[in-house]
Amino acid sequence: MLNPMAMTGRTILVTGASAGIGRETALLLSQLGGQVILVARDRSRLEETHSLLVGTGHRIESRDLSMLDEIPNWLQQITTETGPISGLVHCAGMQMLIPLRQVTAVQVGTMMNINLTAAIMLARGLRQKGVHALPASIVFVSSVMGIVGATGRSVYSSSKGALIALAKSLALELSKDGLRVNCVAPAFVKTAMLEQMQELTATAQFEAIESAHPLGIGQPRDVANAIAFLLADTGRWITGTTLVVDGGYMAS
Amino acid sequence: MKRVEFLKLLDELLELEPGTLRGNEALDSIPWDSLALIGFLAMADAHFGLVLTAKDVLKCESVADLMKLIGDRISN
Repeated sequence: MLNPMAMTGRTILVTGASAGIGRETALLLSQLGGQVILVARDRSRLEETHSLLVGTGHRIESRDLSMLDEIPNWLQQITTETGPISGLVHCAGMQMLIPLRQVTAVQVGTMMNINLTAAIMLARGLRQKGVHALPASIVFVSSVMGIVGATGRSVYSSSKGALIALAKSLALELSKDGLRVNCVAPAFVKTAMLEQMQELTATAQFEAIESAHPLGIGQPRDVANAIAFLLADTGRWITGTTLVVDGGYMAS
Repeated sequence: MKRVEFLKLLDELLELEPGTLRGNEALDSIPWDSLALIGFLAMADAHFGLVLTAKDVLKCESVADLMKLIGDRISN
């Protein structure tokens, strides 16, 4: 039987692999036959992810992505050991719920650094000769909040919307290098980040958010499936776009 | 932080003139809405390092209740 999303012989780097969408993406990629480089700050949670993966040849890289300008060299060092990689997925990120009247430039900077600038530097790193195999594919995890908005989400929305724009320019610039670049835009997915958000939101409001999803709150596997689709040969002719994975949230 | 400073922070959060709040007001008598709730959670984190939940704050009915949440980080 054919598996059009097979990842055999391909190595993918996944940031945010310690939890949530990143962890589930790493697991799925290993189930599809791929090798995964697991990146996050928390080594012990990376080791948990590693223990869930199937197959061998996976690698843990405990790394704080805030060392932004060092990211390209770091990717080069890794791939001298692993060989060229077939793609990367940027799942690492943070969320914030804050009224505009309290927003500071420092908060905007912090959010942009991890959600956006790290993504740019990862792409810059992957583009280098010897770092990427051919073909290679980049996926950024954006959000429906990069397309529609919500009160208290000005900073978060900005960072996620930026990824959508980033994917378009990078898709054009990197196509001759053999790299495809896309985003996924999930709505609300059952992860620790969502639980954190739930703590900050009144029950009535959270229930309203849940009911705004015709298909209910998503599971990490729902987003991982979309990411793998874009990374694998199934995404061969897809670049510069954003795949919305939202349980119908944006249909109304 | 002194009580009077906390009240000024709260004035600022609710976009009231500094010195408006005395500390005994019922929340439904001041401009306290869902944005104020989000803002209060952010304020508790930023100024006091306290990670409160919406449930904690929703139990409050007065400014005095909000101060109780912050606890001994506010002195008289």
